[in-house]
Amino acid sequence: MTLSQLTIEAQRAYPPRESEFTRTFWSALREGRWLTTRCKSCERKTFPPKLVCPHCWATDVEWVKLGAQGTLYSWTRIHAAPAVFASEAPYACGIVDLDEGIRLACRLVEAEQSPLAVGQRMEMVVLQYQDGPIFAARPCA
Amino acid sequence: MTRNVAIIGTSAIPVGRHQTADDAQQQTLEHEIMTRLVVDAVRDAGVDKKDIQSLVFTLPRPYTRQKYFHTFLMGQLRLACKGNVMEVMGNGMTAALAFDQACNDILLGRSEVSLALGINMESAVSATEHMMSSMRTTGDVDFHTSAGFTPIAWYAMDAMRYMHEHGATREHLAAVAVKNRHHASLNPLAQYRKPITLEEVVGQRPIVEPLGLYDVPPRGDGAACLVLATEEIAKSLGKPYALVRGRGFCHDGTHQISDVPNDMIAFTSAQQAAADAYTQAGIGPADIDLAELYAPCTIVEILVSEAIGLVPKGQGGRAALEGETRLGGRIPISTSGGLTSRGHPAYVTSLYNYVELAEQLRGRAGERQVADARFGMATGELGNYNAALIHVLEAKQ
Repeated sequence: MTLSQLTIEAQRAYPPRESEFTRTFWSALREGRWLTTRCKSCERKTFPPKLVCPHCWATDVEWVKLGAQGTLYSWTRIHAAPAVFASEAPYACGIVDLDEGIRLACRLVEAEQSPLAVGQRMEMVVLQYQDGPIFAARPCA
Repeated sequence: MTRNVAIIGTSAIPVGRHQTADDAQQQTLEHEIMTRLVVDAVRDAGVDKKDIQSLVFTLPRPYTRQKYFHTFLMGQLRLACKGNVMEVMGNGMTAALAFDQACNDILLGRSEVSLALGINMESAVSATEHMMSSMRTTGDVDFHTSAGFTPIAWYAMDAMRYMHEHGATREHLAAVAVKNRHHASLNPLAQYRKPITLEEVVGQRPIVEPLGLYDVPPRGDGAACLVLATEEIAKSLGKPYALVRGRGFCHDGTHQISDVPNDMIAFTSAQQAAADAYTQAGIGPADIDLAELYAPCTIVEILVSEAIGLVPKGQGGRAALEGETRLGGRIPISTSGGLTSRGHPAYVTSLYNYVELAEQLRGRAGERQVADARFGMATGELGNYNAALIHVLEAKQ
């Protein structure tokens, strides 16, 4: 699944680390591709991607595409932020239940015409910062 | 014969701003506070220095200059012992684990008298700087912290979900803060004691929506010491004591969020740990006379009180608003003033909760005394109550 990409003219405030394993995820995200891992043994997807399946502990996992659509389970707008995020505050974060049954937490992109509300339909997007990507969600148009 | 553990003595400094800035000419030294508290608590218990054979400390904050604080303090007190001496760490559960481990030393026969103690100093470090560390304690440091999540942001999302599911309002949450401030007004150990109104709580600036300044914990410093002993020793002292009657622990196998969608606000670990603690104690939720909950925000008190069966699901806010959980009500919760008003020096917070239970169950809580208090419950947590450690205490003469 290729996600919509929004260009941000700034560096990421607290960049995620990349390992040999998670580089696949972040490199794909840099190209707008939205992936996670699925266990080859029990066939369950997990997010964030993990090299050991948390369900059956099998170590043979594969990279698969994730869907972009989901529902907002909950959200907040953070006004009191850590020092590195202070210049971005207030900003919204939330929990999205993807349609394929994966729950994740991420930054939310707010849109004036569609205020955030629990239960709202959401779409995953990539925030392309100058130094790399962050995944986020925004209300469906 | 099965051994039982009792709280026989306590001491604590009022929660507040005690830490001095690095450049202050006169410094507050942690060990000077702590040595006095040990002497006070042991005097309160009525035991001798030589009776103490085990000490479990909470890990000090990284801002405490003296490292290996626990063994340093042993030297300050020339306290020799052969049971156990250690510092424990479990983020918000730190002090609950210190208490639990001190109990274990007695249950295992390693000591007859144990101390659970610690100091948490952090208020001279600004909130924005402190959050640079605390933001790494909740969620995934790469996949969540990079989005800007903070510890209380997760509770805020609990609140948003709870309001959606149960039609609860900001006033329902605020009622917990108002009730707890009233309790704190009666507690000399509390950080904030001036009564507040519902309008004032709702009118505070937002911190993590929908939570405002008075829905979230203040920053503060604290230190406390508990003296635990075998029930045999407790009995021999001829004074009231608080007996540990039940204990439950549960980790739900997730950290902050489950990628398999679940009922995030059910706090199932607290449900399970409480069920085990009730079973051990041979009682049910209806038998509890008061509870001191590890609840950093108003919403958390509501959710925990529902999870452990003290109020019906979806009714926690209403219970606070209608006075059910207030002193004099059906089931007083957070009679110390709770984390929002008594204060929340995080690594020792649960020590203050046990201090309050011990005061109540020994009939020494003064204006805050819950009449005929027999059973008290305390909770500790990790993450978004992904883990809970729960104790039931009983008043004994």
